[in-house]
Amino acid sequence: MSAGEGLSAVRRRLRREAEGDGLGLTLLSGAIAAAVLSPVAWLFLRVVDIPATEALSLLTAPSTTRVLTNSVLLVTAVTAASVLLGVPLAVLTVRTDLPARRFFTVVLALPLVVPSYIGAFAFVSAFGPRGALADVLAPLGIERLPEIYGLPGATLVLTLYIYPYVFLTTRAALLSLDASLVEAARTLGEGRLGAFRQVTFPRIVPGIAAGGLLVALYTLSDFGTPAIMQVDVFTSYIYVAYNGFAADQAALLSLQLLGVTTVILALESRIGQDDASAYASGGGGAATRIRLGAWRWVAALACLAVTAVALVLPVAVLLLWLFRGGPGYAGGGFPFELAFAVNSVGVSAAAALVSVVLAVPVGYVAARRSSLPARLAERATYVGYAVPGVVLGLALVFFGVKFAPALYQTLPLLVFAYVVRFLPQAVGTASSSVLQVDRQLLEAARALGESPGRAFRRVTLPLIWPGVLAGAALVFLTTMKELPATLLLRPTGFETLVSYIWQVQEAGYYGLAAVPALTLIAVSALSMAVILAQERR
Amino acid sequence: MTERPGARDGSRRTRRRFLAATGTASAAALAGCSGFLGGDGGDGGDGGDGPGGDSLDDFRGSGANVGGRGEISGTRMDDLPDLSGQLNIYLGGGEGGLYTDLLSLLSDRYPEFNPNHRLEPSAQLASKISEEESGDGSFADVFWAVDAGSLASVASQGYTRALPDDVVSPVPEQFRPDDAWVGVAGRARAVPYNTNQLSESDIPDTVRQFPDTSALQGAMGWAPSYSSFQAFVTAMRLLRGDQATRQWLTSMQDAGVSSYNNEFLVSNAVADGEIAAGFANHYYALRVKAARPDAPIDLAFTSGDAGALVNVSGAEVLRGTEKVDLAENFIAHLLTVEAQEFFATRTFAYPMISGVPPVGGLPRIDELSPPDVDLSRLSDVEGTIDVLRDAGAL
Repeated sequence: MSAGEGLSAVRRRLRREAEGDGLGLTLLSGAIAAAVLSPVAWLFLRVVDIPATEALSLLTAPSTTRVLTNSVLLVTAVTAASVLLGVPLAVLTVRTDLPARRFFTVVLALPLVVPSYIGAFAFVSAFGPRGALADVLAPLGIERLPEIYGLPGATLVLTLYIYPYVFLTTRAALLSLDASLVEAARTLGEGRLGAFRQVTFPRIVPGIAAGGLLVALYTLSDFGTPAIMQVDVFTSYIYVAYNGFAADQAALLSLQLLGVTTVILALESRIGQDDASAYASGGGGAATRIRLGAWRWVAALACLAVTAVALVLPVAVLLLWLFRGGPGYAGGGFPFELAFAVNSVGVSAAAALVSVVLAVPVGYVAARRSSLPARLAERATYVGYAVPGVVLGLALVFFGVKFAPALYQTLPLLVFAYVVRFLPQAVGTASSSVLQVDRQLLEAARALGESPGRAFRRVTLPLIWPGVLAGAALVFLTTMKELPATLLLRPTGFETLVSYIWQVQEAGYYGLAAVPALTLIAVSALSMAVILAQERR
Repeated sequence: MTERPGARDGSRRTRRRFLAATGTASAAALAGCSGFLGGDGGDGGDGGDGPGGDSLDDFRGSGANVGGRGEISGTRMDDLPDLSGQLNIYLGGGEGGLYTDLLSLLSDRYPEFNPNHRLEPSAQLASKISEEESGDGSFADVFWAVDAGSLASVASQGYTRALPDDVVSPVPEQFRPDDAWVGVAGRARAVPYNTNQLSESDIPDTVRQFPDTSALQGAMGWAPSYSSFQAFVTAMRLLRGDQATRQWLTSMQDAGVSSYNNEFLVSNAVADGEIAAGFANHYYALRVKAARPDAPIDLAFTSGDAGALVNVSGAEVLRGTEKVDLAENFIAHLLTVEAQEFFATRTFAYPMISGVPPVGGLPRIDELSPPDVDLSRLSDVEGTIDVLRDAGAL
């Protein structure tokens, strides 16, 4: 490059290059999307065997419609409730003088590390018809507690354990909000509420939508919580077909579930189109905090109440099991080994690493290019997140044995399954981080003679690093909790915390689940600390 | 089956109700015993050990339900060739988790034997074997499942090898319908009921009468997504047809029935008084009793209908195995006195060989009146799911 080349000439050349790179990167991004979508092909392979009339009658059967309605209701309710809970808590911890804000920021995010099936079990043991609360209240003459089973109960439990997705993304959006905009609105005579409505809210909507998307898809694919809360949802319907040796029916129903997923993805992409940020946080000046006055103590009490139900309760129930033994057998069974925790951490770290490596190009392309293929590739990575784990696992059993027998029941295939399931969490953080990188910085680097690759390494990567790390941490902690694909694809003899918890609970040794579950929560809490440490203040 | 020495007089009388007697009789045995399944060996053995008795103690459980073991007989492990080498076992979950203890005992006995087991839900393993076979062949040598439906599903697709006669002959034919698989432990369908809320006479003799029984209105529980319940419904379909089964499921719901996730939870809910009675495998009530000897729970059995089905956990050898001898010898070991005593006293299952009785006051297997159902036809779970869905039970 000649020293005399003008800045505008650099810009023109960059744009030309970008179009060239763009093609390569878009192709790479498309290839990654195709790889993580490939297990879905199995669904079609299984479905073609079903006669069309039978397929149609299954898809339109009253019971199918009923569970589909239940699922849609549950997804809508949990997403709405998570927004109603997560957004105010985010605003409280970012923009107000809430007491002990750092403490609440951490503990309000932590319920995400509690596997929701453990949370649901704890909830039922505490508030069920014959739970701990009923025991306490019985002497007071209270015979029956309000019904906790059913759709409202399932909504409550799911919301309590996954609202942190919305909490985290909304916090990040608030933190990256340029405070001078709010100040300007205030200067122009808007009240606090008016400024929030006019300026703050529109800018955090994409962040809320990104969190809402993760909540919605998680709810759609979750099996454990609705089962414990006695709600028939689409995933349990699929699960029953699958357990009845009707893999083809399970595949057909999964395709129908993917239809719902597509609708959700399309809806979210309308809201999040020009997303300014998701859960990765950018800079932005610190806004002045809203003074709550005496209300700050009410707010603190509300935060404490959420923490008590969503975090203290499951940990307390696990501790109770630890010291008193759970229902079922007391002794016997298989001893807990520290190696299970090491295995869990190992595969989860590997899944996080691979996810991030794949997520950066996909997220980069989605953020920098507005072409349809780029958007589609990014959206496609979300599909695996909504496929029930058992179905995805069985698909990979088939492909593994057929095309890669050497990899079947080995760690690489297991890690691939995790990546298929959880990649979108990393893609979301990556693409929102890239959006926040000022293009002029990149242009400056190029004008100073850096190659595109070096400019990416020296300018873009350091700037997006916190977001990328946050994505890795999210993948890590969801992999730590993952059960169905782990059971199906783990190498024989390779036990993790969750596979051990499953085994002892199945055999009725509930007490033995306490130590691994507490270990799981503690280790995942560390990864949550990584996410929160990335938030710039 | 032959009459066994040691069978108590009046055992016929106790066919339908037995747990209360067991609870008091063995209160002394329970004292000083921490954890029902925790002990290494039997305080329950009071005879019949004979040669190899020390070894038998390793396999025998202890606790409230296990007392006064009668004379036992049959093939002993010493009579069989040693197990040696590595064997890949797909092991069905559920109480299959308890079977890992048996595998450990076997590895202790045979240092050269390396059972490489993988524990997953039985139906999932059956699906997995199907996928593996439609790929390039299963990775398992032996499939040991906790229900006949899963075994039959794999066998009906032709993925198994026939078992040799000398391995399966000690087992009654109804528990090895085509020698593709053999039952190793039985479970009877039963009706656990809360003794504070109901008496034995409140429980009708057939499930057909349940929806119209006034004592059971709004007071029953079941686990329709649970595989053992589905096997019971499959049996009802085989005996009475889809239409009558659908009708029964609908009537039960009209009478008021609570759904649970599995039958251990059903049995616990009965003991807690959350429901007065339920549908469950027999051993869950024994587990509740083992954990809580004072729990007000007892068992009733129906007669000659699907409610009296006796299902099995069993094993089969997969066609692709290169370890045929080891796999067959392993299954033969599951049918020895030692292993059968393990199933009887540690998992409260029905032994499959006539020389080993079930625990405590359980009616013996020949005192039950199971329906005439070919267990290999229990694999038609798909049709059962359709019926359950039509009836709105799922």
